Amino acid sequence: MKLEGSQTIQAARERVFAALTDPDILAKCIPGCEQLHKAGENQYTAKLSAGVGSIKTVFNATITIEEVVAPSHYKLVVEGKAQPGFVKGSGTLDLEEHDGSTTIRYTGEVNVGGMLATVGQRMIQATANMLAAKFFAALETETGKVSAA
Amino acid sequence: MAEKYVGRSVKRTEDPRMIQGLAHYVDDIRLPDTLHAVFVRSIYAHARIKSVDVSEAKKAPGVVAVYIGQDVAKIGPVPCGAAIPDMKLPDHRVLASNKVYFVGHPVAVVVAEDKYAARDAADLIQVDYEELPVVMDEEKAAAKDSPVIHEQFGTNIAYKLTAGEGDIEAALKAADKIVRQKIVNQRLAPIAMEPRGVLARYYRGEQELTLWTSTQIPHMARTSIAVMLGMPENKLRLIAPEVGGGFGSKLNVYAEEALMGWISMQLDRPVKWIEGRRENMQATIHGRGQAGYIEVACKKDGTITGLRYNVFADMGSYFQLLTPAIPTLTGLMLSGCYKIPAIQMNVTATFTNKVATDAYRGAGRPEATFVIERALDLVAVELGLDPIAVRRKNFPAPFGAENPFKTATGLFYDSGDYELSLKKALEISNYDKLRADQKQARSEGRIVGIGLSTYVEICAIGPSSATPAGGWESATVRIEPTCKVTILTGASPHGQGQETSFAQIAGDHLGVNINDVTVIHGDTAIVQYGIGTFGSRGTAVGGTAVYMALEKLKAKATTLAAHLLQTEPGKVTFADGKFTAQGGKSVTIQEVALAAHLARNLPPDMEPGLSATSFFEPKNFTFPFGTHIAMVEIDRETGEIQFKRYVAVDDCGKVINPLLVHGQVHGGIVQSMGQALYEEVVYDDQGQLVSGTLMDYALPRATMIPWMELDRTETPSPVNPMGVKGVGEAGTIGATPAIVSAVVDALAPFGIRHLDMPIKPEAIWRIISKKSAGAA
Amino acid sequence: MIPAQFDYIAAKSLDEALSLLARHKDDAKLLAGGHSLIPAMKLRLMQPGVLIDISRIKELSYIREEGGQLRIGAMTTHYQIESSDLLHRVCPLLPETATHLGDVQVRNRGTIGGSLVHADPAADWPAAILALDAELVVKGPKGERVIASADFFVDLLTTAIQPGEILREIRIAVPKGKFGQAYVKFRHPASGFAVAGIAVSLVKDGAGKCQSAGIGITGIAPKAYRAKGVESALKGSAFDDKSLHAAASHAADGVEANADLFASGEYRKHLAVIYTRRAIEEAAARIR
Repeated sequence: MKLEGSQTIQAARERVFAALTDPDILAKCIPGCEQLHKAGENQYTAKLSAGVGSIKTVFNATITIEEVVAPSHYKLVVEGKAQPGFVKGSGTLDLEEHDGSTTIRYTGEVNVGGMLATVGQRMIQATANMLAAKFFAALETETGKVSAA
Repeated sequence: MAEKYVGRSVKRTEDPRMIQGLAHYVDDIRLPDTLHAVFVRSIYAHARIKSVDVSEAKKAPGVVAVYIGQDVAKIGPVPCGAAIPDMKLPDHRVLASNKVYFVGHPVAVVVAEDKYAARDAADLIQVDYEELPVVMDEEKAAAKDSPVIHEQFGTNIAYKLTAGEGDIEAALKAADKIVRQKIVNQRLAPIAMEPRGVLARYYRGEQELTLWTSTQIPHMARTSIAVMLGMPENKLRLIAPEVGGGFGSKLNVYAEEALMGWISMQLDRPVKWIEGRRENMQATIHGRGQAGYIEVACKKDGTITGLRYNVFADMGSYFQLLTPAIPTLTGLMLSGCYKIPAIQMNVTATFTNKVATDAYRGAGRPEATFVIERALDLVAVELGLDPIAVRRKNFPAPFGAENPFKTATGLFYDSGDYELSLKKALEISNYDKLRADQKQARSEGRIVGIGLSTYVEICAIGPSSATPAGGWESATVRIEPTCKVTILTGASPHGQGQETSFAQIAGDHLGVNINDVTVIHGDTAIVQYGIGTFGSRGTAVGGTAVYMALEKLKAKATTLAAHLLQTEPGKVTFADGKFTAQGGKSVTIQEVALAAHLARNLPPDMEPGLSATSFFEPKNFTFPFGTHIAMVEIDRETGEIQFKRYVAVDDCGKVINPLLVHGQVHGGIVQSMGQALYEEVVYDDQGQLVSGTLMDYALPRATMIPWMELDRTETPSPVNPMGVKGVGEAGTIGATPAIVSAVVDALAPFGIRHLDMPIKPEAIWRIISKKSAGAA
Repeated sequence: MIPAQFDYIAAKSLDEALSLLARHKDDAKLLAGGHSLIPAMKLRLMQPGVLIDISRIKELSYIREEGGQLRIGAMTTHYQIESSDLLHRVCPLLPETATHLGDVQVRNRGTIGGSLVHADPAADWPAAILALDAELVVKGPKGERVIASADFFVDLLTTAIQPGEILREIRIAVPKGKFGQAYVKFRHPASGFAVAGIAVSLVKDGAGKCQSAGIGITGIAPKAYRAKGVESALKGSAFDDKSLHAAASHAADGVEANADLFASGEYRKHLAVIYTRRAIEEAAARIR
């Protein structure tokens, strides 16, 4: 499943990029992120409680950041495993600055397996879109906080 | 003998117990002390199993045992009964041990005191997988650069086969026109109402294993499972109790069946497994799965001179019982009901990371019929001819026992009069008026189409020489001392109504009430060896075996009656249950039955009792046929399809029970509508089964089905004494092309000549809106 | 299809249910008709420790007219709505919508409250509730509050109900004057849910023009929504073909549409437009 879109955030590009590579901020932005530990250079392990409504699943996830070209480009790879199945997502983010605000264009691929793929087909796209929206909304809040500080 | 039952719409004697919920399916059979099994299945389509950790599961409350692939290595491979020259045969084990090959592939089984404990423990099993690249497309699977599923073969090509007769190259060369088209028969899930289920019980003292399993083939399953378990087959009693549908999916031997038997032997307790619907969609066989390319050679006048079908057949990752054989049935039926001098089918069968395909209602013949009927329509369209005229041009003259019709696929059709059913269907539908209505509707801007198919199918499977494991069928008929009639049939039904139709045959034959006839089936300890119910063979082969046994039985009863009447057998007549001597003295069959059992006054050379067994071997297949006509209207704004008419005239030879025939045709047409418009097994490009529940897999519902106008013609088969042909698959074979043809015809003004199935409203909307935009 | 272990408590009153919910918090789920919850539990996508059955609470099951409002208890079944003489008389959109829901078994057990709170993006009730501009009364530990239907559906499977709260009642102003209503639906061939479900409630003024229009749309987007653009375009129109077409063309404005195996987002948006026009035509024809 493809996931793409763009989001404009009222903050300078360097600040947004820094936030996107800051594990503490990522932990606050990734929906349902309960724990995030650094496992290596640009590599994290996380516990994600992800889902919609009251259907929630706790994923053991690894998050890897690749292709880092500060402050304009990087690739985020997330792999989560849980009892009802697995989620694998990877996406590239490209940042452009216009008049002090930053537009993030993202394009990626989300794959879901196991029970989630079997029974969730009609809602997976909507769920992915919703989680992406939540992520960027939180990112905006967090970068706003940083800029205000 | 007055016919009292045969030919009449007798209500099914099976129905009261089913309607009231009193019938016993596998899950309704409860044994004390039964354990319950739950499977852990692969969530990946293709992966190496690095490790399986069952330690937590084994410690879980209520768990009795957990088994993985290595634990069950002694169980023999899941059998494949079909053999094709140079075929690659994967080693199909009951549990995966090194690699998983499809989503739903069983990896481990948990056995616990109840199903809840087993299910809880299944969640505790940790399987560490290393994902491998997947092979999802049957055509790309054959490419040299494709990942390979079974490394030992070095290729995904399971076999290549060329079949057919006549000089196809010459036909193509000499053709006025060659019509080409890619034709796809998508994967479908059979979805029997009752999923699979197994209950196993082992008596250690007697060394006797009893398996209750939902199967279409009790005896063949017994033989195969006994081999898998390495036990004498007469120590394995297999019982198919009430079976809630199969559609071919239970014409098989599954890993779970052997495994439950093995587990009950290990643990010395009964063990039960009932398949869930998601498991059913993942791990029970699928049907169809052919993507092919046709080349049709024809003359300007519509005469077909040759047909080539190059097809990629999707086997899935393993073979089940008949997986590789299904495309060969397609090859046999490519001639349809037409004289085609040259036919060639080139099959490339490939392994993919999906569950195996196998027999699903029609099994290879719906594919063939779709191919040939689409071919006829395309020829008509490309030559600007009427589709009916093209059919008539290529029909053989009526034929029968003296002049059977030989096809370039190597078959001799038994009897047929294709014009007969076509004419009747045209009359019933008032076809000329339909075409006039269509013209009128088009002038009003409406989108209306009419399609037809004239089909022939191969049934009554079949002569043993042409089947992998015997094509005969068995029956025993006994008259008990109280004159109740017991029939033991090897053709174990799973919804066809054989308890009623066989009782009708016996009732008329013996002059007894059908309520005095009991038909017993499905228990290998009671019933003599039989083959089973599939391939539209129940009545034509199984019913004929009953008929033959009845004939033997009646001969003995007549001899005994003559003895009792102190006359010669040749001087005794039998009618309405009574043997009458020439002088008018008579004895009833009841009196004869009692005399046979009391045995105080028998002819000197006669054995006591009144029982006869027949093993009927048919000399040929039968070839039912018919014409289906569909009229549809399409919503110009949304692309939704609505049926305006559906007319079917089927010829299944002599009819025992018209009500049962109608039921079969109704159900078959509904499944055709499913293939044409709704159903499609969808794996995503990672091999995940995304049409994995009935929320996404669109099985037609009663409310989606139009009124069907059914009629029939009766062309008796010369192959068996009752002249019956079989009807179980007619609807799924004849209807699909008629429906697609109607939709294609509706969209002809938009430049459409063919559409892939299932034809969804969105696809039609795109066609209409593209054309409208282009015109604007 | 074997659920994880759970406890079951049948609440006898709303207050008992509220206190049970307060005690068990996140570990509890409320059981109404169970037609979404039980399948999710059988798939183990939900594993609540406690099920609090509120479907037997009599004080939550009623249909009555009170102070110019229709009041429907949250545990009223689809069938009770489908067969209510009162509703057929004063607000036929509700019984009409009920006939589109699932099948007889579902309608006999499923409840309007359960369906609304689950907020399936393709459920039928949200469309009707939005078109009728209903109010939803929820009760929680701090007492009652009223949520406008337009604020009720927050996102995919997400409503404005907070933890600890229970939907108690649905209130709908009794339509006055000359009005017409309709629910039309494109049924998903597999699930029977709405690929597009459009509920329309129209009121005509003395001059024969559209005085007000309520349009609720389900099946298209992650949550059901009110088609404000359609409503405002209709207002003041004379229900002529041209204005209906023009109004309906706004049915999916600004919507990020759902997609599944059966229908893409683009097609869903197209269906929203066509079915909205048809629903308005139907409702307009029924104005009396």
